[in-house]
Amino acid sequence: MRDLYQRLTLTPDASAQDIKSALARCPNSALRQDAETALGDAEHRDAYNKLHKTVSDIGQLRARLGLTHGAHWQGDVANDFSLPPDNAISRHDELIDRVSLAVSLYNRWRRFKGPWLLVTLFAIGAGIGLAFGLTLGIGLGMR
Amino acid sequence: MSIARFSPFELLLLKSRSQVDTATLLLLAWVLVHRQQVSEGQRRRRLAQVTAQFRHGHELGPVMGIAHSQDLQAIQLAAEVVRKECSSERSLSILHQAITVATDDGELSLSNHYILGFLADLLNVTPATFNILFHELTGKPLRPAEDPSRDAYWQVHDPEYHAHKANTAKQKADEARAKAEERQRANAEQQQQNQQNKQRQKEKARREKTKQEQAKQEQAKQEQAKQKERRKRQEQTQQQERRRWQQEQTRQEESRRQQRQREHPSSPPDRTTRALAVLGLTPGANRADIRRAYRRMAQLHHPDRFYSGSEHQIALASTRFQRVKSAYDYLMQNT
Repeated sequence: MRDLYQRLTLTPDASAQDIKSALARCPNSALRQDAETALGDAEHRDAYNKLHKTVSDIGQLRARLGLTHGAHWQGDVANDFSLPPDNAISRHDELIDRVSLAVSLYNRWRRFKGPWLLVTLFAIGAGIGLAFGLTLGIGLGMR
Repeated sequence: MSIARFSPFELLLLKSRSQVDTATLLLLAWVLVHRQQVSEGQRRRRLAQVTAQFRHGHELGPVMGIAHSQDLQAIQLAAEVVRKECSSERSLSILHQAITVATDDGELSLSNHYILGFLADLLNVTPATFNILFHELTGKPLRPAEDPSRDAYWQVHDPEYHAHKANTAKQKADEARAKAEERQRANAEQQQQNQQNKQRQKEKARREKTKQEQAKQEQAKQEQAKQKERRKRQEQTQQQERRRWQQEQTRQEESRRQQRQREHPSSPPDRTTRALAVLGLTPGANRADIRRAYRRMAQLHHPDRFYSGSEHQIALASTRFQRVKSAYDYLMQNT
């Protein structure tokens, strides 16, 4: 399995016209014939694209997991679909980080729940008192 | 750190009673999704069947949904969990399950070929062990994956396409041949006509000539006698001249040959300037300059630099490199 798109300097979503012109200027006759069969026919191209998607996904996974030099990843596939090692953080570590952050937030909420409740109660009481006093004052002034 | 929401798979993993089982479930679902000619219900049933002894304790539906959406991050997370938590026995059993799920009573699809390879690498299973396992489970040896990026694959899997293509090519060739034949015919007819015309003209000309000649012959006979004497004299002088001329020519050729032999090692200076221009130098550069320029150009245009590029780029680079190298070789021989 080779990456014909890469070898023809195309992107996988290239139009049929692009492919035709790329084939016309391709100097390697064997590659031209292969690409014409695999990409020239709509059905063939669909099948090829499906596999291409899966294999490039696997290439990405291997790059992220440090498996680009595995024993089962050799030859054309490894040449065309290996990506440079990805410095993205391990997904599992990230998940653990996020869970611990969520846990700490939750704990803080629990710890501050009592004081916050007091503060809100006080604020509500003060608000009601103020409103009551104002209406009373306005009522007295009217008389 | 940005607070992203937890993805569906992360939530599943957090809720799960056994993270390894959930992760394995996703990987098996991923393999199942890439199996062809199986209905969705069959996939679910098969997954439930294989994972009957798992202790994850949640529904299978969401896992299948995640596998269908080809969520790379979820799959990466599952792979990491599996790699982190699995003993060698457990990893062999996971691979066992993956192979049965991928192949039972069917062909191994190409995508699954690569996925199984990925799983084997992930779980640290050597190709030898993997092949033995595959052979035991399916009764068939594991063949190297077929390659749909090659013409040969499609000749086997879609012979109609090639037959059709051959037919169209034949038709085109036939049409071209028919056209060529028509053209030839037309040409032949034209030629025939031309020839006929010419023959008529010739015949006319002949008739006129014969008349004129008869008249002339009488006059000519009288003159011929006089002319013969003159001709003899002329021929003698001409022969002498020819001999002289031939001698001179042979002399000239010899001198030319000698000149060529002398000039050969330093053939026209034009080529030297061109070779220098290829290396980006002006006439009058010395050997050290040439060598330095060659090194620089060779580094710039060496095909190995374009290893990661397309084949087109590599081909261009190698022609450029070839030109630089031949220019350098020429200059080194001739300066």
